[in-house]
Amino acid sequence: MSNQALPNALPQDIALLIYTTMVRIHACDQRIQQLLAAGALQFQYYPCGGQEAIPASIAPHLHKEDQVVTTYRGVHDIVAKGTPMVEIIAEMMGKITGTSKGKGGAMHLSDPDAGLMVTTGIVGAGMPIANGLALAAKLKGTGRVVVVNFGDGASNIGAFNESVNMAALWDLPIVFLCQNNAYAEYTSFEGSTKSANIADRAAGYGMAGETVDGTDPDAMHAAAGRAITRARNGEGPTLLECMALRLQGHSFGSEEGHMDQEKLAAARANPPIAKFRASLIERGNATAEDLDTIDADAKQEVEDAVEKSMAADMPNESELYTDIFADASAVPYSSPTTTAAEPDLSDREVVTVPMVVAITEALDIALGEDPDVFLIGEDIADPAGGVAKATAGLSTKHGVDRVRPSPISEQAIIGAAIGASLNGMKPVAEIMINDFSMVCMDQIANHAAKLRYMSGGRTSVPIVIRTVTAGNVGNFAAQHSQSLEAWFTHIPGIKVVAPSTAADAKGLLLAAIADPDPVLVLEPMRCYFVPDEVPVGRYEIPLGKAAVRREGTDVTLISYGWCSVEANAAADALAEVGVSAEVIDLRSLVPLDLDTCVTSVKKTGRCVIAHAAVEFSGFGAELAAKLSEELYGQLKAPIKRVGARYTPVPFTPSLESMHFPNAARIKDTAESLMK
Amino acid sequence: MAKITLKVPKGAVSMQEGKLVEWFVNDGDPVSLGQAIYAIETEKTTMEIECPFEGTFKRLGEVGETYKVGYPIAEIEQ
Ligand SMILES: Cc1ncc(C[n+]2csc(CCOP(=O)(O)OP(=O)(O)O)c2C)c(N)n1
Repeated sequence: MSNQALPNALPQDIALLIYTTMVRIHACDQRIQQLLAAGALQFQYYPCGGQEAIPASIAPHLHKEDQVVTTYRGVHDIVAKGTPMVEIIAEMMGKITGTSKGKGGAMHLSDPDAGLMVTTGIVGAGMPIANGLALAAKLKGTGRVVVVNFGDGASNIGAFNESVNMAALWDLPIVFLCQNNAYAEYTSFEGSTKSANIADRAAGYGMAGETVDGTDPDAMHAAAGRAITRARNGEGPTLLECMALRLQGHSFGSEEGHMDQEKLAAARANPPIAKFRASLIERGNATAEDLDTIDADAKQEVEDAVEKSMAADMPNESELYTDIFADASAVPYSSPTTTAAEPDLSDREVVTVPMVVAITEALDIALGEDPDVFLIGEDIADPAGGVAKATAGLSTKHGVDRVRPSPISEQAIIGAAIGASLNGMKPVAEIMINDFSMVCMDQIANHAAKLRYMSGGRTSVPIVIRTVTAGNVGNFAAQHSQSLEAWFTHIPGIKVVAPSTAADAKGLLLAAIADPDPVLVLEPMRCYFVPDEVPVGRYEIPLGKAAVRREGTDVTLISYGWCSVEANAAADALAEVGVSAEVIDLRSLVPLDLDTCVTSVKKTGRCVIAHAAVEFSGFGAELAAKLSEELYGQLKAPIKRVGARYTPVPFTPSLESMHFPNAARIKDTAESLMK
Repeated sequence: MAKITLKVPKGAVSMQEGKLVEWFVNDGDPVSLGQAIYAIETEKTTMEIECPFEGTFKRLGEVGETYKVGYPIAEIEQ
């Protein structure tokens, strides 16, 4: 048979390139399983047998600068993108010489040098981030294309819907590459959806879609070429569904009883590599001896990688706390902590404006200074300018490319920010209300917070997430009033700030935008529209530095966010009854200024921690425990907490007022400590 | 000379332990990649374990004993 007999026949050099990649993938995949089977290694492994031709056929279309996002079942994608074999194997063995110093492991390889940006263990979660990589490519005009891999099962998860819709809407240079291996763990394709296939869904989103035989390199290479050319030419995304039966159970050692045994046996009898090998010989592209040499070279490459990796070390203790943040001193209770000095603003002109205007000014300054800064969020463009008007006028001044209104897709918003930041941009995402961040918690907690660590410090996510905490502004009720800071401070890798004054809101936001790590800024709506004094121009309030709002000797009141207003009022009331209260506004929860708290409580011997969040399991519990440990034996009274009561935020004013803490409760609690 | 420890493998996701039923190689034997080295019996099946490295074999386990997944059952000296 000559090449002409095949409609899509590959040129010989490409065909051999694809074959080589397929056998390199296969050699790697098989060797890992052999090591697992013999007990020389032990971890969860998701084999790629049957799917080798997919990335191998895509690879010849991709440049080194093009980027790939993949999943736990991704070793084939990773080998094909060009990550060195020795780094792949070492990472799987948890060695310091691995792609991510062993900190990511088999499910979380990343190699930005090769364009392998994220490997996620969360089904579907790569898609929002890949959009962000593609958005940066588009905004910066790099010409880069992004390929995001996911399974057929992942096509039924929410992140898929949000991501393909956003990519189509914005004509992003991305290929959604669905590797349909007919199963999602133990559930068949048919058991997961009524859709006849995944690619047909593309039409509903207004984008191109195609289904292709992912075991056939000729067809696969041609289809990938169409999709990648479309992306490169600015013609938008493609949903490319590649059919390739999974040739084994879900993970190494897992059962196969749920799989169609006849189909499995037939596919195993003639797997994609064997089929392609026979075809290459038949078309005269190579002799069996040529291909034997390629096979042997691949095995040797893997063997060398195994040998080197076995001899390498695992990371030692010095690596435990590095790569959480750019600077390990931001880790809570680390010692010594380093914080930039408070700016001297004594000579600054001061204007009286509400916090929301101070925030707008900070955003305007950042947009004006740095072309890599952009804003993304729902309704943020003019004429709306954000539901609370925090971005009013900014899209008119800086354009909708940089003040980018998005569909109502919180996962896609945060993912877009994460991905763009991986490509060097400084996105500021707005999640309208703190409560809504729960629908994109995976992107924030599993990705923004962890990518630096999981990549061994090779990638970082310098994003800012601004969100309003709307408690105690009247009748916002149970789903629009919460203060969820403890959800975030519990996740290593994300900084959390909670200003209470307009001046701090501006200075902390500018510091957050300049910061190399993800920062969540909790903006209290309670303080949004109250006139306050704000220094003009740029300044930064350092993250991790508390403010002593007033000095006192009898009791320390520690608070943050809008509850600081109540703490200040409580201190006034305490003064009237002869109690001298010192008031600390933490401003920043991670990093945490423990020193200022310890110094103060040591002096006063008494402490009340007040916050708008529910008291039970709140941030105050952590701080109270830590202060008790630090000051055991030096306290004159137990440390007390005043938080919101353990109820959903009630709608009716009679109950809402009982739910939230207030100055009276803080005062009463402090007074009770004086007895 | 590197010493590689072979542990009782987790041959199935639910596997907790296995019984060493037979050695196929003796202490001090040279072993090669892919060679069957021992058999282990689990609740569901008996598996023949292939040698993952070349080298000199050393037995650590005893035939007839049941070992937890992760127990060092043999060594290969390279
Ligand atoms: C959000 C989430 N839910 C569930 C899981 C557990 N899980 C891991 S893989 C998988 C199946 C995914 O199937 P598919 O997307 O088809 O990819 P494949 O494993 O076949 O490559 C599931 C449910 C997970 N990792 N993440």
